Amino acid sequence: MTQKLKISSTLHCDVLIIGAGGAGLRCASALLEKKPGTHIIAVTKVANPQKSHTQTAQGGMAAVDPRDPNDKPIYHMFDTWKGSDCIADQNIIKKIVEAGWEQAVWMENHGMHFTRTEDGKLSKRTFGGHTVNFGESSAFRCVFEADRTGKGIMDNVWGESLKGGTKFINQAVVTELLFQDNRCVGAVIFKQKDGAFLSILAKATVFATGGNGQVFKVTTNCRQNTGDGNAIILQAGLPVMDPEAIQFHPTGIVGPGILASETLRSVGGILRNKQLEPFMKHYAPKMKELAPRDLVARAIETEIRKGRGILNPDHNIEHVWIDLRHLPDYVHDVEIPEVSGFFKKFINLDPKKDLCPVRPSNHYQMGGIPTNENGEVQKNPREMVPGLFAVGECAAASFHGFNRLGTNSLLELITMGKFAGEKIMDALGEDVPDAPRDAGERSFSLFSRFMEAGGKDNLGKIREEMRNLMTEKVGVFRTEQGMNDAIEGLRELKQRADRTALASQSLIMNQDLIQRWELNNLLDNAFVITKGALNRKESRGGHFRDDFPERDDTLHYHTLVHKTAFGDIHLKKRPVDMSLYEAKGEHYEKFGVIERKY
Amino acid sequence: MQDTYAVTLKIKRYDPETKKTWLQDYHLKAGRILRFTDLFRRINNELDPTLAWNSSCEHAQCGTCAVQVNGKPLLACELLVENAVAQFGTAVFKIEPITAAPVVRDLIVDLEQAYHRVHKAKPYIIERAEKSAAQDEIQILPRDLDRYVEATRCINCFCCATACISSENGFIGPNAVMASIIRLMDPREQAKEERLGLLYSEEGIYRCHTSKACSFVCPKEIDVAHFIALAKEGKFKETD
Repeated sequence: MTQKLKISSTLHCDVLIIGAGGAGLRCASALLEKKPGTHIIAVTKVANPQKSHTQTAQGGMAAVDPRDPNDKPIYHMFDTWKGSDCIADQNIIKKIVEAGWEQAVWMENHGMHFTRTEDGKLSKRTFGGHTVNFGESSAFRCVFEADRTGKGIMDNVWGESLKGGTKFINQAVVTELLFQDNRCVGAVIFKQKDGAFLSILAKATVFATGGNGQVFKVTTNCRQNTGDGNAIILQAGLPVMDPEAIQFHPTGIVGPGILASETLRSVGGILRNKQLEPFMKHYAPKMKELAPRDLVARAIETEIRKGRGILNPDHNIEHVWIDLRHLPDYVHDVEIPEVSGFFKKFINLDPKKDLCPVRPSNHYQMGGIPTNENGEVQKNPREMVPGLFAVGECAAASFHGFNRLGTNSLLELITMGKFAGEKIMDALGEDVPDAPRDAGERSFSLFSRFMEAGGKDNLGKIREEMRNLMTEKVGVFRTEQGMNDAIEGLRELKQRADRTALASQSLIMNQDLIQRWELNNLLDNAFVITKGALNRKESRGGHFRDDFPERDDTLHYHTLVHKTAFGDIHLKKRPVDMSLYEAKGEHYEKFGVIERKY
Repeated sequence: MQDTYAVTLKIKRYDPETKKTWLQDYHLKAGRILRFTDLFRRINNELDPTLAWNSSCEHAQCGTCAVQVNGKPLLACELLVENAVAQFGTAVFKIEPITAAPVVRDLIVDLEQAYHRVHKAKPYIIERAEKSAAQDEIQILPRDLDRYVEATRCINCFCCATACISSENGFIGPNAVMASIIRLMDPREQAKEERLGLLYSEEGIYRCHTSKACSFVCPKEIDVAHFIALAKEGKFKETD
């Protein structure tokens, strides 16, 4: 019954970019700027690069303006280090922070529509966790395009890539990486539109596939963010780093989980509980609403757990309020129009008059495919995978450690994209290698199994059950018991998924087939997140263990997770780079393993 | 205000293997603030996993989920059940794909083909203005930015192109024209002549019959017709 699956054609290029969001296309732009005519193929899962998740980032991008008399890169490095709960890599922090302003200027010069000051310069605003003078006061460090900064960046790097002649393959997924003598030589992709597998051979392959937010029920992530990059890397026998480091954004809008940006708090929004008490003063007396995300998320979750939340009857979800009623119309209309509009659009409330319901939502994977400072993928801490790069949310260099500061992700996307692009330039002289003889076999075998399963169940329901399970057991608060339950649950869901028949055998734009493939990836991601979280018997940044509520500095290392088969996981360690501390330069003591208090 | 609504979605289906087109009815009980994308997902999970529909961000920032509901192009992710009932005065909704590109399956169109028009409009700076060595950013005063910043909010959902009465008569389309107009108004763009060439070409703004359907349907509430009117008035020829 099964159709014979085959590679319908083989393409050759200089650079294959898988995932055409902000990081992937900043990489493409860097390549095309330095070496016009570079033959780049960019593959995206969405209908057009403009539909990528980068598009949805609201608040802005952190970048220290050298003209600012108050701010310095060392302050930004400190904030990032402290925010990461002292487990980001300091060589990465230094490299990214120092490149920030140059990249903001690059974006502006290439046409991004940043919000301006009265004299026409880039406007800046504050953001949670960003300070001057090592925590003394809030820093004005975030450049932005109203509350659609991600869209500005996305339009910009997409435009530049298009202008440079990048060939786009839209609505396609990567199903396997290709290797020749341990060198990555490209990938097999599946084009949904015509149901065809392609081999794409390249001198360099860049993974920029985004995050895995769809593992959780309440998430700010796009529908396509199913952790495909992590899953394909694991399938290739390579490790994923710190998968348990998941950020829950404190203020997702009930119930679609849409992000209500930190901007709402930076312009003066106040979080209130059922009694309308502004409760943040009990959790972060100094920073209050502007404390880092994980602290605010746990504060809200604690309020809800202590019975001070409010139940939304339509979505059966508990939440707290964000109060924006006291803000002037100007702020509503000019500074937060999109976000303010979300409440009107998606829950029929007017934030000028009504309290708005928010709760913690899955937001960001800080961990991911381990790389060095050039985005080169690591097999282990000493060895790279030749020809393979990873940038953006799917990758972990690691800039964010266990907690990402707002506005640092857009900064990471464009800087790491650019660094990878520059490094790739070195590889461009070499000949494009041949395809390995068994190219596609792994994909065909997987897809055939999907198509041959005959059991009656619903794949969408299995996915929803997994998302509920992960939100409940491996979410904002985690315990050993809960996560052991999750492991059992995931094994059962995997078995059910493997038995379930597809609703249609067609290869052409078969949503059920793609979601079946995604479900495999989601389950792989869920499994390594849970295993990583079980293993880390401490609380650090976004990873909070109810049974180990304190940070344990004897666990000061990254975890590399390998998978041999589903459920068969091996853990290794990668040291944390402490080069800023070890250099003993000015303020080096700020980069030790310090207390994280706001 | 009702808590739940009994809705009927009459969805236009298309199977690329058999080339067959048909209307299929789905009956659902839906909470008042569920969105149409939530309904599609429920159809997949409870009634029919074969129904194909497209979305990405599902909060009106990407424009992937554009469909026609009772003839009006809109984003399915921001249409709440209670608003739909109020707006259309019925709980029966005919859902069809947008017309800006050929259908691939069911509600999914080949956006790549629709985007070809935007590519023609060159959605980037063709030739950048030189800046002095002392400058970082090229300075743009807020009042100058304000003239065109609304247009930069366009997400290329192609609702305007679907509603446009000239779309099928060789017009490049409202969103594509606007992509070029943004750069005509952007002081950083030098290639004004090339842009004017497209604007006043065979597929340019004189194909527009000023029905203003684009502004009427735009989910981002951009007054698209205003920007086209500026071009028709010859505004960009004078200023630069």
